[in-house]
Amino acid sequence: MTGKLDAILRPMAFILLATLLCGIVFQIAGYSAFLMFDSIVDGAFLGRRSLEKSLRWALPLFITAVGVGISFRCGFFNIGAQGQFYIGAICAAFAVESMAGAPPAIVVTLGMMAGMAGGALWAFWPGYLRLRTGADEVITTLMGNFIAGLILVYVTSGPLKDPSGSGQQASTRILPDELRISDAGGVSPTIIAIATAVGMVGWLLVNRTAFGALAGLAGRNPTMLRFQGGKIWQLGLASFLISGALAGLAGSVELFGPSGRIASGSLPAHGFTAILVALVASYAVPATAVAALFFGGLFSAALFLPILAGLPASAIDLFNATVALLITARISLDTWFHRLRRGRRDD
Amino acid sequence: MTTGRPEEPAVSCRNIGVTFGEVTALADVSIDFPAGEIHAVVGQNGAGKTTLARSIAGIVRPDTGSMYIHGKDLDAGNVQSARAAGIELVHQSFALPPSFTVAEALEFGSGGGIGLFSQKELVRRSREHLDSLEMDIDPKSRIRDLPIELQQAVEIARALSSNARILILDEPTAVLPPPGIESLFQRIRKLRDSGVTIVLILHKTREIWAVADTITVLRSGEFVAGPLRCDQTEPDRVAEMIMGSETVEIEPGTGRVTGMTRPGHSDGPVPASVSPSGPVPAPGPALELSGVSTDDDTEGACLDDVSLSVERGEIVGIAGVEGNGQATLMRVLAGLSVFSAGRVEVCGRPANELNLAQRRSLGLRIIPFDRNSEGLSLTSTLWENWVAGELVSRPLFGLIKPSAIRERCMASMSEWGVRCRSARQHAGSLSGGNCQKLILARELDDAARAVIAAQPTRGLDIGATSFVWSTLRKARSGGCGILLISSDLDELFEISERILVMMSGRIVCELNPPFDIASAGRAMVGASA
Repeated sequence: MTGKLDAILRPMAFILLATLLCGIVFQIAGYSAFLMFDSIVDGAFLGRRSLEKSLRWALPLFITAVGVGISFRCGFFNIGAQGQFYIGAICAAFAVESMAGAPPAIVVTLGMMAGMAGGALWAFWPGYLRLRTGADEVITTLMGNFIAGLILVYVTSGPLKDPSGSGQQASTRILPDELRISDAGGVSPTIIAIATAVGMVGWLLVNRTAFGALAGLAGRNPTMLRFQGGKIWQLGLASFLISGALAGLAGSVELFGPSGRIASGSLPAHGFTAILVALVASYAVPATAVAALFFGGLFSAALFLPILAGLPASAIDLFNATVALLITARISLDTWFHRLRRGRRDD
Repeated sequence: MTTGRPEEPAVSCRNIGVTFGEVTALADVSIDFPAGEIHAVVGQNGAGKTTLARSIAGIVRPDTGSMYIHGKDLDAGNVQSARAAGIELVHQSFALPPSFTVAEALEFGSGGGIGLFSQKELVRRSREHLDSLEMDIDPKSRIRDLPIELQQAVEIARALSSNARILILDEPTAVLPPPGIESLFQRIRKLRDSGVTIVLILHKTREIWAVADTITVLRSGEFVAGPLRCDQTEPDRVAEMIMGSETVEIEPGTGRVTGMTRPGHSDGPVPASVSPSGPVPAPGPALELSGVSTDDDTEGACLDDVSLSVERGEIVGIAGVEGNGQATLMRVLAGLSVFSAGRVEVCGRPANELNLAQRRSLGLRIIPFDRNSEGLSLTSTLWENWVAGELVSRPLFGLIKPSAIRERCMASMSEWGVRCRSARQHAGSLSGGNCQKLILARELDDAARAVIAAQPTRGLDIGATSFVWSTLRKARSGGCGILLISSDLDELFEISERILVMMSGRIVCELNPPFDIASAGRAMVGASA
């Protein structure tokens, strides 16, 4: 009972506190905090068609965040979702290139599978290094992000370059319409179905398989699991691969969906926001959906900020950073809650 | 010394109440501990002893009540003011920074100390202090490298290094070898004679009457009686007060050893599931090691040409001061440590190449040394802890039904008498005795054939200890071979058929009944062969 309530209250407390802090900062900096909040709420959720725009960002975020949650829950801090997202999109793009002329349904399906395989591959090597040699996965996956970003630059300005491009931002050719699973709006039955399927499979994996229960134990106390005969490397590798595959899937959804192409340096914060989403949701899949919608909304609202509140769009980055900071300080927040409760009872 | 008038009690608790969430740890407890005496606080696991100790030391803030130290009001729930009043607590689970050296821990372990110091000076000072306590510990070694018993010794030394007027020790004897216990008691008596008031949380009747002046009994968070003068109180009466109306059978010999005992054969009421009824096992001993040696790089002391065998239906004790290779022995049998030479057999099968999951499927079960880290995941739920070993043998991505597992788990919990509210509560919310019962419920299932029980009753009260012993006996009668690793001679004498003494990674001798505590003690410290 209280556990469930806590699970809802805690992320809300983070977000509320972050909003308050950011409001204070912007007010001091000379902007109107009220206008900022107003434009965020309006731009993200209440404005005309704003919920749809929020969903456009929330759906891929959700797919990646479910994977991030699975690896974090197992005790492996795969923070390489960004790189796995890129490599997934790149592999999907190559798959499309190699299947020119094939029926669209097959190209898209195989393209997405190639994207998942690519993302999984980009999570495999840090996972393997971590489990075989003990190399810290936080370092290797973070490094992997940079390498993947550079591969993206190479691919978009080399093998898959759009020859008609203006040169401002290197990118691939826009996919023909029959290969697209959504228009630029990014919300289509196909994408919603993919996200729903990911949510359901993710939930089953966490809550209804031996893997889910054992991964939870491995994340909390690997020693105990080892004494039960558990194979940490097996669980770890599986969680690395699953999280990489989902980030890669999100990358290919971007390619076949709203973007229609891959561009160097596109969506540079996707993987990191997904980490935030997973953390705010405490790795629970239903909560991840809510958190993804919230952060997707913020991202969408960022586009309104300059217009309505006269703020730079990067104000949202500050907000995200504040939430991240508060999550890192989770323990002290817990004791703070605890004291509040005690205080109330003493009265 | 000058604080308070002599007639004021050293510690006076008035109507102390402590609750953790829905659990009442202490309810309206009022106790006076007279100054300059040794007070034992006894009770079952979960009786509130540790909470009482922590309340006095300021770590836990009571919800109700007040405390007076030498007649002065104490700001409850404040460690600093408790320290200032001269109160020091030695924890049950140790709280020294693992990366510190012993010298650093003694100097800064209590959080004090600013200003310059030299490493040499620190080492010299701590060596003096350790020598005065007759503790043979290198001040330069790191806390994390010390075996658990030495960590506790350092913790006690740390508490004694400040000028404590009231010293509270939470189960100090649980991890000490017999000679260590006697020297600890001597030290405590000396401290008492110098005017320090000592509050001890103890379990063993023998130890209580050996050292304490008074006894205070708690049960289910409530004050039962005390302080009773030890010399005017019968141990049996105290045992009755501890157990209350419960019908837990206290076995003959439990906790009281007069120097000579024989292996007991009384089997208490234990669940039926410990008697194996599975497939007929292959012939051969339950556990066998021949000529096993390990290299230096494994954890703990390395094994040196160890051979032993545990037959089905027998309990073989491994005696020895902790840190002499027992942990490595267990890890080798479990397949968690590599070894350089020798042969391991589990349930009659060569097991050198088998991992723990495979060994478990042959019937190997482990009750590990440290139930809080190796035995349980305290932040995971009861059902996850209970079912982990079973899930390991299932297909990784096969579907499971948690609600059915939770039901089976709760049935098992009630069968084994684990006091809990729901299968979803965290293992960390159970008391020590209930934690151990949870581990027994998991490990001693129908398919158990060979059991390694490492310190299975450490920190448990009389009732829980007797439960563990009768459970192990029952498993033995059901055909399990049990290797009992313990530094508690009473325990080994009570339930083993024979005892092997381990020192510096070797089996130095085998003892057969009738066991003699004096010669076993000598063998453990290497005084005789």
